[in-house]
Amino acid sequence: MIDLDLGAPLDRHRAIVLPEWIDWNGHMNVGFYVVAFDKATDTLCAQFGCGFEYTRDKIGMTFVLEAHVTYDQEVKQGDALRITTQILDHDAKRLHYIHAMYHADEGYLAATNELMLMNIDYATRRSAPWPDFALERIEKLTAAHKRLPVPRQAGRLIGIKKKK
Amino acid sequence: MLDSLPYELPELVTRAPFDIHRSTVLPEWVDWNGHMNVAFYVTAFDQASGAFMRNMGLGRRYVDGKLGMTFVLETHVTYDREMRQGAPMRFATQLLERDAKKLHLFHEMFHAEQGYLAATNETIVMNIDYASRRSAPWPAPVAERLEVLWQAHAALRRPVKAGRVMGLSRK
Repeated sequence: MIDLDLGAPLDRHRAIVLPEWIDWNGHMNVGFYVVAFDKATDTLCAQFGCGFEYTRDKIGMTFVLEAHVTYDQEVKQGDALRITTQILDHDAKRLHYIHAMYHADEGYLAATNELMLMNIDYATRRSAPWPDFALERIEKLTAAHKRLPVPRQAGRLIGIKKKK
Repeated sequence: MLDSLPYELPELVTRAPFDIHRSTVLPEWVDWNGHMNVAFYVTAFDQASGAFMRNMGLGRRYVDGKLGMTFVLETHVTYDREMRQGAPMRFATQLLERDAKKLHLFHEMFHAEQGYLAATNETIVMNIDYASRRSAPWPAPVAERLEVLWQAHAALRRPVKAGRVMGLSRK
């Protein structure tokens, strides 16, 4: 397994907005923000041994149960992205975390993605407790991230505010 | 606000929920887990939003004519069941709220043959002025259609999965 990075938030993921991620509005399409965030989830899962090899070697999988995205500012083709990740909570099977996507050069917040991830048994495709090697690392990461303030984009309720 | 649109609007579908949109899980939407990847549920739902917008008169001609655009501000997805390559999808869309510039939609995605609920998506869409790329009120004919749709949708029961806040429930 790779060395554990206890820097908080996790700040390892980088990406570039690809031409095929652009839609007719001339900016990254809503679906591809989630593609970019999902790759940042792979970077996170690699920290505790549940990345690509975990599934390739038929040990297990991770499934997303729920996701919430805020689209804060547009990004265009070729823009450099920096994605940070903060663990909010976990239990025996699940992990609750939030990604923040920044324009790497200009520094502005482009989007956030709050997620609930569940560990899955490879054979049954049903939920299963995190393997010991993963849980040990998840607990260390959670402890390291606990000192961070909870981002205001976490725990949001969608709606249109009524003006009185 | 635009007082008119320089093209003919499609015949308005007022049936509630709006259930016109169909699609199929494409090979490139499938990930290493052998099912539709989380991101492409959002793409599929975005296309269902597109169908709802076209019904309001905001299709490709709205953007190509440099009149305006629609941007998603926020979206919430529940992933209820897996979908495999080639699976047919049926969507049902409920208008939950609207104001002068925004829409609040709730989509359900069903496996079109097996009937099960695969996912839900709650989303806020905003009208955008083409030149300034900033929010703007709906064009007048669109606002008119929106009120007709609202009359049809307001009577529907609020979906159980609408208005969710994420978190681990503690036993």
